[in-house]
Amino acid sequence: MIAVPLVLYNEIRKTFIITWNYRVDLAIQFLTLVLFFVFISFFIGSGTIKSEGLPAVLLGYLIWLYAVMAISNMSTSLSGEASVGTLEQIYMSPVPAWMVIVGWVVANFLQHTVIVALLGVILVMILPVTLPLELAALPPFVLTMIGLIGFGYAIGGLTLVYKQVSSVSSLLTNVLLFLNGSLLPVHHFPAWLETIAVFLPTTQGIIVLRRVVVDGASLTAVWQDGSMVFLAIQSFVFLVVGWILFNVGERVAKQRGTLGQY
Amino acid sequence: MNAIELVSLTKTFHRRGSAPVRAVVDLSLSIPRGQIFGFLGPNGAGKTTTIKMMCGVVIPDAGSVKLLGHDVQRDRSAAMRQFGTVLEGARTVYWRLSAMENLMYFGRLKGVRDRYLKPRADRLLKELDLWERRNDDVREFSRGMQQKVAISAALMSDPPIVLLDEPTLGLDVESAQTVREWVSRLAKEENKTVLLTTHQLAMAQELCDRVAIINEGRLIADRSVDELLSLFRRDYYTIRVGGLFNGQGSLPEGLTLEPGDSETTISGDIADQDSLHQVLRCLREEGLPILSVQRAAPSLEHIFMDLLNEDRK
Ligand SMILES: Nc1ncnc2c1ncn2[C@@H]1O[C@H](COP(=O)(O)OP(=O)(O)O)[C@@H](O)[C@H]1O
Ligand SMILES: [Mg+2]
Repeated sequence: MIAVPLVLYNEIRKTFIITWNYRVDLAIQFLTLVLFFVFISFFIGSGTIKSEGLPAVLLGYLIWLYAVMAISNMSTSLSGEASVGTLEQIYMSPVPAWMVIVGWVVANFLQHTVIVALLGVILVMILPVTLPLELAALPPFVLTMIGLIGFGYAIGGLTLVYKQVSSVSSLLTNVLLFLNGSLLPVHHFPAWLETIAVFLPTTQGIIVLRRVVVDGASLTAVWQDGSMVFLAIQSFVFLVVGWILFNVGERVAKQRGTLGQY
Repeated sequence: MNAIELVSLTKTFHRRGSAPVRAVVDLSLSIPRGQIFGFLGPNGAGKTTTIKMMCGVVIPDAGSVKLLGHDVQRDRSAAMRQFGTVLEGARTVYWRLSAMENLMYFGRLKGVRDRYLKPRADRLLKELDLWERRNDDVREFSRGMQQKVAISAALMSDPPIVLLDEPTLGLDVESAQTVREWVSRLAKEENKTVLLTTHQLAMAQELCDRVAIINEGRLIADRSVDELLSLFRRDYYTIRVGGLFNGQGSLPEGLTLEPGDSETTISGDIADQDSLHQVLRCLREEGLPILSVQRAAPSLEHIFMDLLNEDRK
């Protein structure tokens, strides 16, 4: 079906044009992100910046940024489109809405990858930290992103029904910074908290990525110790559950006649 | 095949803490191709809910919608290609995109390729006098221009069916006029089926071939505009004669006489042609010249109010 690539291109193009409209805000946000990490480094090094342990934290920070993007973007985009009055139009495409929204996901992923890459380069330049670019990091990275996308769709389904999810999702993303192990690896957590943390998006991804990128473990090693398998299963479950929740949310909104409300 | 086929469409909204609202009750309608159909009703009658069920963004409790034979719930993808719509509300396009980008966007959203879209967008923008400002952001436009962009966006995929919810609401007189002329041209030149909702009767009277009147979710009338007008034509006549007439006793009951300086006006209900001739004969016998005979034309406004009053009884 020709309509699907066309509609995806359409959403990516629209997202890029609108983002460009807000480029000044984006630049300010970017500066905040740089400064935020510098403060984190001070905090971790108890007032000085030590290179020891910093790569692991930087890696966690960058992955957390992807989580922020996936979660907050889905809820703000959906309620944004509803308030602009265009969400119902999206639901009148011959292409199913969840598929149209894949376009948002792709556009966002591309935008954030540019931001994260730039941020990574700047932080590596100004701080005593390096992050080797390992090709082996790609599979766990992709799996982590798939899980996140699923989680994003779940948030999307909730947004369609409960509308005011933005505040909850921003709380969630902030809490996630502490719970996903980006600042402090989860094995330092009390056992009960570690159990919760491991079922949150990106936690397991960060564990596996650290092993590969920071400790230099091979893919075979992380596969054999089961951590990669757990990541794969978890991401797949997130994706399926997210897709189901999105469809349920959509149906409830259509039944209540509140799809276009915000 | 009918362009639009609604069968026993029913929708009740349940809201926590308030009584259920029966927005649409057992509504059936068949609209053939090429018709401009006016969907009239007071606020809260269920017009928007009906349109949204036709667009597939509200799921009916019962009944079905078919657009050119495609069921909106069961054959969604094909059904979505049959129509373009502007739903009610001040914002239905992207304010942060230019007029041109909006049109291209909404065309692609319906699955139409750029090579078909570009000439269509050019034409629509030129026809609606938006060409000069095609690259400006829509947020800089007046309300009237924004509505023109919204309507053009709905037409980008060249759909056979166009659904418009209160298309002139909140527009200035001039833009409202442009929109009306445009809707009427669309149906004639492009043979589109247009369903529009309005509570402005003058618009329905000017544009529509047929109107349905809905009140509290139920259809209370569905006829051609001409039929509706003649059905409710009041047999109310005004006859002016020269000179003074005082033969009231010879006239049928119920007519009133209004003597003037040099003429008399006789007015009232005259049931049929026979009675009318009888009245005229009577005047002639008095030897008075008949200056004029006029039948009062009912407006849709009157009919509408009559129907609603009857329905409320
Ligand atoms: N999503 C909804 N939830 C609850 N009630 C609704 C909803 N949408 C419409 N209604 C109610 O249904 C009735 C019909 O509304 P609507 O279709 O918008 O009427 P109209 O467009 O003719 O003004 C109104 O009483 C309205 O308050
Ligand atoms: Mg309405």
